[in-house]
Amino acid sequence: MKPAPFEYLRADSVPAALAALAEHEDAKVLAGGQSLLTLMNLRLARPSVLVDIGGLAELDRVFSDADDVLIGALVRHRRVETDPELRALVPLAAAAAGHIGHVGIRNRGTLGGTLAHADPAAELPLVMVTLGATCYLESLHGGVRAVPAEQFFVSYYTSALRPDELLTWVRVPRVRAGQGWGFVELARRHGDFAMAGAAALVELDSLGEVRAVRAGLMSAGETPLLVSGPDGLVGETASARRWGELATEWTAELEFSEDPEYARALARVALRRALTEAEARAESTPEAA
Amino acid sequence: MTTSADTGGWVGRSAPRREDARFLAGRGRFVADLGDAATLHAVFVRSTQPAARLLGVDVSLARRQPGVVGAYTGADLAEDAGPLPTLHEPHPGFAAATQFRMADPALPCLAVDEVLYVGQPLAVVLAHSRHLAEDAAELVDVRYADRAAVTDATEALRDDSPVVHERLGDNEAGRIGFTLGDVDTARAGAHLEVTETYRMGRHGAVPLECRGVFATVDHRRERVEVWTSTQIPHLVRDTMCRVTGWATESVRVAAPDVGGGFGTKANVYPEEIIIPVLARRLARPVSWVEDRAEHFLAAAQGRDQVHHTRLAVDATGRILSWEDDFVVDIGAASLWTAGILANTAVHLLGPYRMRCVRVHGRAAFSNKTVVAQYRGAGRPEACFALERSLDHAARELGISQEQIRRRNLLTAADLPHRVDLPYRDGVPIELDGGDYLACFEACLDALPRAELTRLRAEHPELAVGYGVANYLEATGRGPYETGRARLGADGRFAVAAGSASAGQGHQTTLAQVAADALGVDPAAIAVVNGDTDAVADGIGTFASRSAVLAGNAVDQACRELVSRARQLAAQLLGAPEARLRDGVFEAAPGTSAPGDSADSTAGAAGTLSWAELAAALGPRGTLADAPPLDVTVRYRPLTVTWTMGSHAAVVGVDRETGLCRVLLYAVAHEGGTEINPMIVHGQIVGGVAQGIGGALLEEFRYSADGQPLSGSLADYLLPETTDLPPVRVVARHTPTGANPLGVRGAGESGTIAVYAAVAAAVQDAVGAHVTATPITPAQVWRAASREPALGRAG
Repeated sequence: MKPAPFEYLRADSVPAALAALAEHEDAKVLAGGQSLLTLMNLRLARPSVLVDIGGLAELDRVFSDADDVLIGALVRHRRVETDPELRALVPLAAAAAGHIGHVGIRNRGTLGGTLAHADPAAELPLVMVTLGATCYLESLHGGVRAVPAEQFFVSYYTSALRPDELLTWVRVPRVRAGQGWGFVELARRHGDFAMAGAAALVELDSLGEVRAVRAGLMSAGETPLLVSGPDGLVGETASARRWGELATEWTAELEFSEDPEYARALARVALRRALTEAEARAESTPEAA
Repeated sequence: MTTSADTGGWVGRSAPRREDARFLAGRGRFVADLGDAATLHAVFVRSTQPAARLLGVDVSLARRQPGVVGAYTGADLAEDAGPLPTLHEPHPGFAAATQFRMADPALPCLAVDEVLYVGQPLAVVLAHSRHLAEDAAELVDVRYADRAAVTDATEALRDDSPVVHERLGDNEAGRIGFTLGDVDTARAGAHLEVTETYRMGRHGAVPLECRGVFATVDHRRERVEVWTSTQIPHLVRDTMCRVTGWATESVRVAAPDVGGGFGTKANVYPEEIIIPVLARRLARPVSWVEDRAEHFLAAAQGRDQVHHTRLAVDATGRILSWEDDFVVDIGAASLWTAGILANTAVHLLGPYRMRCVRVHGRAAFSNKTVVAQYRGAGRPEACFALERSLDHAARELGISQEQIRRRNLLTAADLPHRVDLPYRDGVPIELDGGDYLACFEACLDALPRAELTRLRAEHPELAVGYGVANYLEATGRGPYETGRARLGADGRFAVAAGSASAGQGHQTTLAQVAADALGVDPAAIAVVNGDTDAVADGIGTFASRSAVLAGNAVDQACRELVSRARQLAAQLLGAPEARLRDGVFEAAPGTSAPGDSADSTAGAAGTLSWAELAAALGPRGTLADAPPLDVTVRYRPLTVTWTMGSHAAVVGVDRETGLCRVLLYAVAHEGGTEINPMIVHGQIVGGVAQGIGGALLEEFRYSADGQPLSGSLADYLLPETTDLPPVRVVARHTPTGANPLGVRGAGESGTIAVYAAVAAAVQDAVGAHVTATPITPAQVWRAASREPALGRAG
């Protein structure tokens, strides 16, 4: 389990990283290395050049304004999980990050890395799709482009990133008053790839009626899937039964390759539980009057 | 630190493990820690095909790569090492009584003409680093002509099956059978008969440390020194000499620190032969450290059995007859076919009053990875078939799991219990337990069914079920183990045995045994095992045997050492006889002649310490011409030592997803004298963990055409600490007269009954009859969906 030979470049700035990517068509970006190095050690990935961005402290920062949080691509999962500011601003991401592998993996794995890896069974891609986040992709010749998370994920392990682009920042909407979130992952052991998983946001108005619902699934297709329709339960008072019906409706058309009957049942259960959790949290943090 | 005089001995104390100081400080020395800059690194090229004729293996391009020192095919090395022979054949008396027979697969160390499983080594590349060797290994060109693969053991035994070993004509690797009593008559009078097919999936040890071999030639001593991550260095040495023709004295085999074995390292592997062959050929140190990907393909696996059962009971649940026809998938080869077949067959007897039994078993070759004796080695499979059958009968009769067992367990009045069948060593089976029913009750007391009320309240989201199971286990198989005790020049001791610790703590426990026999503190005793230099011959560590075999061998060697020392001490004390009391020699009462010609070596008041005796034996001492005090013995038990135990499990099932979680666990076991209760406790709890892995998570899956599907730790799920429940352990110390220390083996006690107990608890939770492991969430979900009303009752 040793990687095939490769050339190693360590970038000392974002422009230097972009220059390296522009120069080497076959280059891969190394951040936390929690997926890439395993694939390389198994010789399933054989990049000729590695551009290591691990030293770019500028991408290991977090900014926030009234609406959004801007998270650098090098922010580690463990920080997303435990940092008090991020826990307060994007609690859904914090909860989901706790399901990524084990602490040792979360200490190294990065937000940019997991998004660029685009595994449909990964937690933070689903969270970003559910939250409606925006990914910023930079290249030497193309400058910066903003891609909504929903469009960023293209297929299994395939994102909208071009070979010369670096994912640098992610803009994530902050949790709002009246908004509750839920995250449920079903796995045989904590830290395993999800058999099924769901993220949900439910917003209630001051009367306790549903104002907005947004929910997505992992391990349910080629990409993290946003499954919520435009007006699920909007204007209604929610109930466990209604969430169950909605979960059934939103998973009915999914296609699974292996044991579809069971996979759909798991997706439905995860979604219903996430929605129910989200509503419960929304009730406990009512909209400021 | 207290001395043995305070409490009556070191045996029985939970002394801290001496090994842990180095392990916890990262100072352990494993195979991967050996070697230097001159060491060559080996990478094996392994078959990618489950069954194929080899049309060609071309290593010429690999040989020309930078840093590569050599590349060899099976044909290149065939003359250096012949095929691996079986490691065990049963006693002729047992073979006759069970119509036992087996085939010799004679797998070559490196494949030459054909490959029989994915992962089979077929060439080896040596380079200055593992990286370079892997780069070159990719360039070895292997051409295969695929054959039909055999992946199902039952299919394998049909006449029209493709044949794994064409030379053998069919796929039967071995067979065994016996009948006790008049089964048909007993069954004819039965109130109820239950039949079922039970399956246990293929899984295995997957130790923290994979395998590894380091070999170097000592030109001065004209021998090759081999360090291998093994539980059986002496058997590795013996096998190596047999297949290479090397003289025993020209080989040293030693196990350095070993990070777990559990039977997968109680085996002899091609790599253990090829690496020393190459070290000798090139006169260079050679290292091979197995990586995890290789381990999943090439390290021995276990279980993989199917049992067809028929249990007949009377109206109260008493067993009238028990029949089992089983098939073991032994993979492409096993050096332990006899052990696995015999273990399975004999342990189908269970700890019950059972007079009419018919057992028939076969082992089948398949195009899967080789098999060895994974912790339990047939016992968990036998236990699963029998215990699940008892649950089946209980359910049909409308009685509880507990009731049917109470009606059949052997009690103090039944024990010792003779069975009209010899054990594998040819000696008639006699179970010398204390009270199996009492052990079962102790387990129920430790984890009563009544606790379900609390656990259901704590886990309202789960269906919570309760399961029990009993096991019987033959431990401490012979034929012998070697023990050695030596008095050093400074009055300290060196103790050695043929056992090899893979984490069991032999340095601690063997020192405790020796300390009592010698009357000294364990700190005065150095323990070396796992090394052919320490004792010239031995067997090794497996089959719950080391406390029984190595423990008694060390005890016997130390006692013999004391006996000889007493004669020398008497000479020095000027007494006709001396005795050892609290570690000091003194004239035996009534034999001393005060004021006589006591030697000046003797200390005050006519006593003599071990240090003074050692000094007298030194070159300038008064006993300088006496032979050194260095005793080697072979301890030969008459037969195996039996043990029994009971398990109880509480499992919570998420009915909507089928995910299962063991919430609480208990084991009561009839261990014997415990040398170190803390270590025994660790063995039990660790055994339960491995059992839970096998029951719920672990499986080496193969595609229908023989490709392995469990190639990494992401696919092969090991239980983690967060998956494991608290385990309550009740040790019912039941010393045995079968060996001088009164110990019983405990290494497998924690594992054997877990599968059956967990299955029973899942069944209790969701209602469906659980007949196979691993119990997957999808299976449970389907069962729970079918039986929505069950699982909450009782």
